[in-house]
Amino acid sequence: MKSYGIVAVFDNAEDLIRAVRASYAAGFRRMETYSPYPVPEVDSFLPGWELLSPVAFISGVAGGVLGFGVQYYIAVALYPTNIGGRPLNSWPAFAVIAFEMVVLFALLAVFASALFFEKLPRLYQPLYRTPDSVERLRDRFALCIEATDPLFFSKHPYSFLTSLDPLHVWQVTYD
Amino acid sequence: MTPHTPNTGAQTELERAEPAGRVREPGFTFAGLTDRVAQLVLRPQVPLLWLTIFNLAIAACCMFSVAVTVLLDVGVGTMGNNIPVAWALPIANYVWWIEIAVGGSLLSSILRLARQDWRSSLNRISEAVTLAGICCAGLFPILHLGRAWLLYWTLPYPNTMSIEPNFRSPLIWDVFGLFTYATASLLFWYLDMLPDLAAVRDRARSRTAYLVCGVLALGWCGSATQWRVQEKASILLAGLLTPLVFTIHTVVSLDFATALVPGWHSTIFPPYFVDGAILAGLSMVSVLAVLIRRAFALQTIITRRHFDNLGKLMLTTSIILAYVYVMEPFTAWYSADGYDMFTVHYRATGLYAWTYWSFIALGIGVPQLLWWTRNRIRPARLATISVLVIIGMWEERYMLMVTSLSRDFMPSAWAAFVTTAEDHALLYGSVGLFLAVFFLLVRLLPVCSIYSVRESLLLNEAGRRGVA
Repeated sequence: MKSYGIVAVFDNAEDLIRAVRASYAAGFRRMETYSPYPVPEVDSFLPGWELLSPVAFISGVAGGVLGFGVQYYIAVALYPTNIGGRPLNSWPAFAVIAFEMVVLFALLAVFASALFFEKLPRLYQPLYRTPDSVERLRDRFALCIEATDPLFFSKHPYSFLTSLDPLHVWQVTYD
Repeated sequence: MTPHTPNTGAQTELERAEPAGRVREPGFTFAGLTDRVAQLVLRPQVPLLWLTIFNLAIAACCMFSVAVTVLLDVGVGTMGNNIPVAWALPIANYVWWIEIAVGGSLLSSILRLARQDWRSSLNRISEAVTLAGICCAGLFPILHLGRAWLLYWTLPYPNTMSIEPNFRSPLIWDVFGLFTYATASLLFWYLDMLPDLAAVRDRARSRTAYLVCGVLALGWCGSATQWRVQEKASILLAGLLTPLVFTIHTVVSLDFATALVPGWHSTIFPPYFVDGAILAGLSMVSVLAVLIRRAFALQTIITRRHFDNLGKLMLTTSIILAYVYVMEPFTAWYSADGYDMFTVHYRATGLYAWTYWSFIALGIGVPQLLWWTRNRIRPARLATISVLVIIGMWEERYMLMVTSLSRDFMPSAWAAFVTTAEDHALLYGSVGLFLAVFFLLVRLLPVCSIYSVRESLLLNEAGRRGVA
């Protein structure tokens, strides 16, 4: 049975934060916490990075360029209409749809990258494999030290986590 | 135990009703809240109030589908539209529904950025109002087209006819704007709902509920990474939706403002429409919040403080509308433009003066009752005021359309407009469609943003205890 990690369940957020601090101090780095609502205090101790704002910005710019470009091409090259000799490149009018395209592309990018960095859709979660574990984790605050941590096999995370006085501790396996 | 506040005699009625100034009621646990909201989704029984209104809404939807079939089969002559009043009820309905949708978005997006935590209880309701409003709004421009099946001609697709849309027209801006707004609302709503869908999934007893919620929740497990990304994405999407809230109704107002018709060709239209949108939207959210609170017994989640805040926002926007309705006659008089002055005079005294004055009474006069706290915090009173405001806003849209078009530049082109049965059927049918979609969304999906309410409750508690 391939191990995914050791998980410890706590009753409230403060205990979880304490546990994360202690684990970090003990040298564990590959950790993840699970909570029913965000607990921002643990973020500085956990690995992970995301790239939402730059992706959104670049997509927005691309959308704007595309939106304005399509309108320009259609109005100037593909289907020019002579309305009283006015300039074909009526950019003040094109700005409206260009803006809408900026917003559309940016939000599509935010949505897609949010799902990507949240690792969703992921319908198989090793932690929630059994009904028992679902019951224990519901509405609780869990800390999981993952098997990919370099100290996992040397520092005995099971006994370490038990020493932090959680509600439950168990090993999570892949099957 | 509630802390004792000494009665100094200078307390407001709200303070007497809510001594601790808290946003939620006591005796309230996090898990209990999640269980309550999840059970509302999972249990097979529905509240009687919900069932009654939903059935009426479905009946109205049936009427709507008959009306739409008649319209598409027989043609736009079944409606009262004529020349010169070529834009009448369909466009009035379109603007009205977009207004209602925009108000819901304001609550979700702008108040999110302003870190107004009280909005978290009303989040789902307002987003459902937005989505249902967009459904109804999007239908009307399609239906009034005459050849509705040729709607795709408004898009710049390569075609054998060698024609392209005119990007200088606000009507095309509308197409893109509405599509962007619909996508934005849908994605914002769905992303925000993932944690709540996961909470429902974790409490599901039946296989179907588990599978459906499980697939919809995409496997959300509440890890710190996911919460971090969620917070960031939520702020970004709210930040993107905010300019959209303002621009979408600005673009709708430009449908009128860029036209030369007297009474429409005014630079006050964009802010005027946006302000009216916020008023109409918040009124709809208020009414539906009162109904849903009653139907689902959410008194501990949607409290009097929410109604107080909604009432204050409604009052503010109605005062701005009052300003607009003073500035329009003033600008017309100041411009010394005969056509504008006539339009102002005609609106107040002509054939359709009843719409003008009923709007002044319902849209500007009635919200002034919200100066008094008891009218804001008593749900029944707020709901009544909100319904009257919504009706008033429709009167306003109707007045704008019909008065300017029926009496424009040339007297030889003047004609009256009369509504037909088809017009009424489409209007009331769309109300039915809106209510049906809204009630489905609040029944089948979590009715309040569970994790957001829990978060704001935590912050509230921490603030009161003086904890950083």
